[in-house]
Amino acid sequence: MYRFAWRNLFSRPIRSVLALIGLSIPVLGVVGLMSLSNGLRGLVGDTVKQVQGVMLLRTNTPSPVFSDIDSKLADEIRKIPGVKNVASEFWRVAPPVDNTSMVLRSLGAGSTEKRLSNFLDSPVVLGMNVLEHNQLDSAVYQKALLKPSSSGGRFLNDSDRGLNRVVLSRKFSLQYPNPDGSPRKPGDKIRIGTDDFEIIGLYETKSLLLDVVLVMDIETARKLLKAPKDATSAFYVEMKNPGDNEKLSKIVESRWDEIDCRGMNEIEASFGDIMGQIDVLLLMAVGLAFGVGAVGITNTMIMSIMERVPEIGVLRTNGWSSRQILTLITLESFYLGVVSGMAGCGFAIAGCWVANFYLKDGIRLIPTPSILIQGMLLSVLTGMLAGMYPAWRASRWSPMEAIRYDP
Amino acid sequence: MSMIETHDVTKSYRSGEGVMEILHGVSLSIPAGQCAFIVGPSGSGKSTLLHLIGAMDQPTKGRVVIDGQDLTKMTEPQKDLFRRDKIGIIFQAFNLVGNLTALENVLVPFLPRGITPELRDRAKAMLTKVGLGHRLTHRPIQMSGGEQQRVAIARALVKNPQVVLADEPTGQLDTRTGEDVFRILRELQRELGTTLVVVTHDRRFIQPQDLVLEIEDGLLKK
Repeated sequence: MYRFAWRNLFSRPIRSVLALIGLSIPVLGVVGLMSLSNGLRGLVGDTVKQVQGVMLLRTNTPSPVFSDIDSKLADEIRKIPGVKNVASEFWRVAPPVDNTSMVLRSLGAGSTEKRLSNFLDSPVVLGMNVLEHNQLDSAVYQKALLKPSSSGGRFLNDSDRGLNRVVLSRKFSLQYPNPDGSPRKPGDKIRIGTDDFEIIGLYETKSLLLDVVLVMDIETARKLLKAPKDATSAFYVEMKNPGDNEKLSKIVESRWDEIDCRGMNEIEASFGDIMGQIDVLLLMAVGLAFGVGAVGITNTMIMSIMERVPEIGVLRTNGWSSRQILTLITLESFYLGVVSGMAGCGFAIAGCWVANFYLKDGIRLIPTPSILIQGMLLSVLTGMLAGMYPAWRASRWSPMEAIRYDP
Repeated sequence: MSMIETHDVTKSYRSGEGVMEILHGVSLSIPAGQCAFIVGPSGSGKSTLLHLIGAMDQPTKGRVVIDGQDLTKMTEPQKDLFRRDKIGIIFQAFNLVGNLTALENVLVPFLPRGITPELRDRAKAMLTKVGLGHRLTHRPIQMSGGEQQRVAIARALVKNPQVVLADEPTGQLDTRTGEDVFRILRELQRELGTTLVVVTHDRRFIQPQDLVLEIEDGLLKK
């Protein structure tokens, strides 16, 4: 019976193919969107893994770039039991780099993908207190410095205080090449705002969110951005025991209303919550598409069955029971669901590959086996549910009603 | 001993707001191994009677008894099993399954239970008997009307049924092909000892030893 049901799909190939397309598109949608969601989670996860401390910044600011806090609080925070290191940071959106502003860079790019990529890669200035940061255990940029064999150069030290020296990401060394087109390397100059900076090192974290930072001394950054001498955006705090991050959060938030304490796990969890809500919305949209696919399959199966009523009559007169007819038609819709699922997953894998090829250093679409299995299951379930009514209808004909039916 | 008995069988259908009675109290008896012809003009109720005998339809009144089993007391699943095991049916329009080969069409009654090598051999042997041993893998569209009807005969007989019912089996065939098909049908009926009931307009195939049941306006004349 299994082979018979399978071959019945080929008796009306065009109709079967149309039903297959109708169901594989929602599968493509669900797998593609979930892969994107997975890629976004991965992106944040990659970033969070590298930042193990806690960031203190002004309450209700989405990012340290918009934060402004009292620099004197650093000493108070150091007194909290368990605190090991406190490092002051000054963050702002970077002024035009090589005389190219973020807007010009985005608009000037040729393709839409490039414009989007340039927008996501907008440079940010991080001015760090070099002495304090060099004492950190989990200093992200120091650790991400390229090896000398890869022209990594060196990281900032005390001798760089107040000087126009910058550590650049490898990505930016390629995106802002020298006038002769060669990638920027340590020793080269780069224009940031109205000042020329010497590049002293290159780093690479491979995180889309971290590899956009121009790292320099805090005094240099304040001078570049014409900020007050004590301007501070955030403190990066390390505890002696990283498990005590939550304790620190409670103490800080109870003592200073204006300070928000953001552990990276917390950021990851919040992001996970947001992504969960986005996933629900995406699934609702895809659910509609599945509904349309189900209607398509139901229609296909009904049409197919109405054309085959006398054939079903022949089966009944040859001793096939109602239940066996029900099984046959359900099997056909099950097969449609399986093939549609496979086609949809195949298209989705190909689509993700193409998207990843164009996005290159940007967000990755990651179709995991679990996502593909979910897509397959949804397709099979939709196929079977859609086939139930036609199957039930076919199984209710008496042998003579069916034999005498004129399609 | 009677293989087929009907007792005062009436069959009526709803037609619009009225009821149309097709059979009016038909009683008959057909012995086992007999070849019986149900003849009569169009619309006289011949096919309806055949369908009742084949457990494909339910009489409005009366009883249909096959091999001692009262069909009117059977449940639907019991009737399915009865048709599967005891009845072979041949239709005027051949009614083969289009996307199956000749061999697979003959195996249709066994498909839900799975095809064993023994069943496959039996189906091949039956197709060889009807002269289609060389057409096993051909589909209906690749065969002539006469060949298709021979596949239908093989399908009806492959399960070695007690009763074979043929509804105008030569109705869509030319004279010579019809004669060939009927000759094969009768040979196999004799060989297998099956009870054969044929509904037909065509009295050419009736032989002296056959039982002839003539129906007119839903009544059995003799």
